[in-house]
Amino acid sequence: AGTEDAAIDMTTSEKVVDLLNQAAFMSTDDKLIALKQVQELIINKDPSLLDNFLDEMIAFQTDKSIEVRKFVIGFIEEACKRDSELLLKLIANLNMLLKDESVNVVKKAILTLTHLYKVALQVRASSLNTIAVCGEACWDMVTQMKGDVLALLDSDNDGVRTHAIKFTEALIITLSARTPSSEIPKKQEGDISLDKIPKDHSYIRYDVLAEEGKSALEQLLKFMVHPAISSINLTTALGSLATLARQRPMFMSEVVQAYETLHANLPPTLAKSQVSSVRKNLKLHLVAVLRHPSSLDYHSQISTLLLDLGMAQGDIARCVPTSAPTRKRPR
Amino acid sequence: MPSHPLRVAVVCSSNQNRSMEAHNILSKRGFDVRSFGTGTHVKLPGPAPDKPNVYDFKTTYEQMYSDLVRKDKELYTQNGILHMLERNKRIKTRPERFQSCKDQFDLVITCEERVYDQVLEELNSREQETYQPVHVINVDIQDNHEEATLGAFLICELCQCIQHTDDMENEIDELLQEFEEKSSRPFLHTVCFY
Repeated sequence: AGTEDAAIDMTTSEKVVDLLNQAAFMSTDDKLIALKQVQELIINKDPSLLDNFLDEMIAFQTDKSIEVRKFVIGFIEEACKRDSELLLKLIANLNMLLKDESVNVVKKAILTLTHLYKVALQVRASSLNTIAVCGEACWDMVTQMKGDVLALLDSDNDGVRTHAIKFTEALIITLSARTPSSEIPKKQEGDISLDKIPKDHSYIRYDVLAEEGKSALEQLLKFMVHPAISSINLTTALGSLATLARQRPMFMSEVVQAYETLHANLPPTLAKSQVSSVRKNLKLHLVAVLRHPSSLDYHSQISTLLLDLGMAQGDIARCVPTSAPTRKRPR
Repeated sequence: MPSHPLRVAVVCSSNQNRSMEAHNILSKRGFDVRSFGTGTHVKLPGPAPDKPNVYDFKTTYEQMYSDLVRKDKELYTQNGILHMLERNKRIKTRPERFQSCKDQFDLVITCEERVYDQVLEELNSREQETYQPVHVINVDIQDNHEEATLGAFLICELCQCIQHTDDMENEIDELLQEFEEKSSRPFLHTVCFY
């Protein structure tokens, strides 16, 4: 009973110290439980402790267990979402984990960079000139990591490529401007994108970022026409294009053209059932694009594709929005 | 082998026969499994093909059982429906609708193409949040007791093979090809993102 009383009397800080000390000698499963408790305590319960214990938590990034290293990546993400300035410090750790020997760790790092790229741009855009000086190294590293992940579209590993596609999708959304006809998912309403960066920003080059976004789209489109693309990555890319068309209608023409090209030249490496799966996906995403008011100019191309994919004319007509072209599609 | 157990969902139309048979076997083999239906209602065979028993997803297996015993105990004993409900209520309280579940899975296995389409439509209609991938695979299974049993074993074997891959996402394409050949059925397969 004495030890229980002591446990109750411990301050949060003492509890964290205790958990971290124990975690160092625990088996992987127990260690994960202890570290998750620490994360809860220093991110949600008492965020004033976050800075204090950051180094101790990050030290686990060299743990021999893949799950623990993945946990550290998740922790970096949560910590930076709680306090975006921590990114200045933690980005170097994420960069190391992005080069981990385990593909599962690399995939998790890509996923986290997908979320943190936006945070990094936000920090860069909103920081005062004084912080901007020390933020420059962080932004340079983020930019380098962005290039590294785009290069992973050529990875030997199929799952890594899938994650790189999703990163590219999110990157293109961030590095392009919202327009009045952009469909904005509710949960992403507050996200930064190019339209929130003043064109005369003192140290962020709007035109450079816009070019980087366009170049990422080009890389995605190039990736899609690779003759040996796997059915899963093709499917992923088809979905990304539909998202881009709806959120950034200025890319509608590129997207519809990519769908047409793909439909006419399905990769010869696909097995019969994979062809069925890809065609089904293409249909699903074409319908989603057709429903967007900004696809009006492309209805004849989209309808032709859908007819070819076996959709009845009447069903196609039902997907065309009847309201004025500026109205957003109800979700 | 992935360090965490695969989170699997098996989905059919009414969460009664095919998905529950697979749920039963997969949970006995230690999988982290849940089962669902995608229909708007839960349908069970009735006295004639055009007179099914229709329930909503809130009705428990126990309530359906009592209802059918009251309606025609002999008929529903003879056609195996009571036996099936008996099994189902040992697994969970009531059927669950896939569209109402916001939990995340690594793998969703559907039992017919229409259900696969509904799962895809649901997953694609949700707002992307975590970008976490989920693989969706369709294995066609006819909706009768024998086929459900055979189908459940096939699903179980498939899940075991996927669970034992070193790198699921890198190997799943090839693995499914092998399974298609072995079982002589085509599988639909796609990936969605949460």
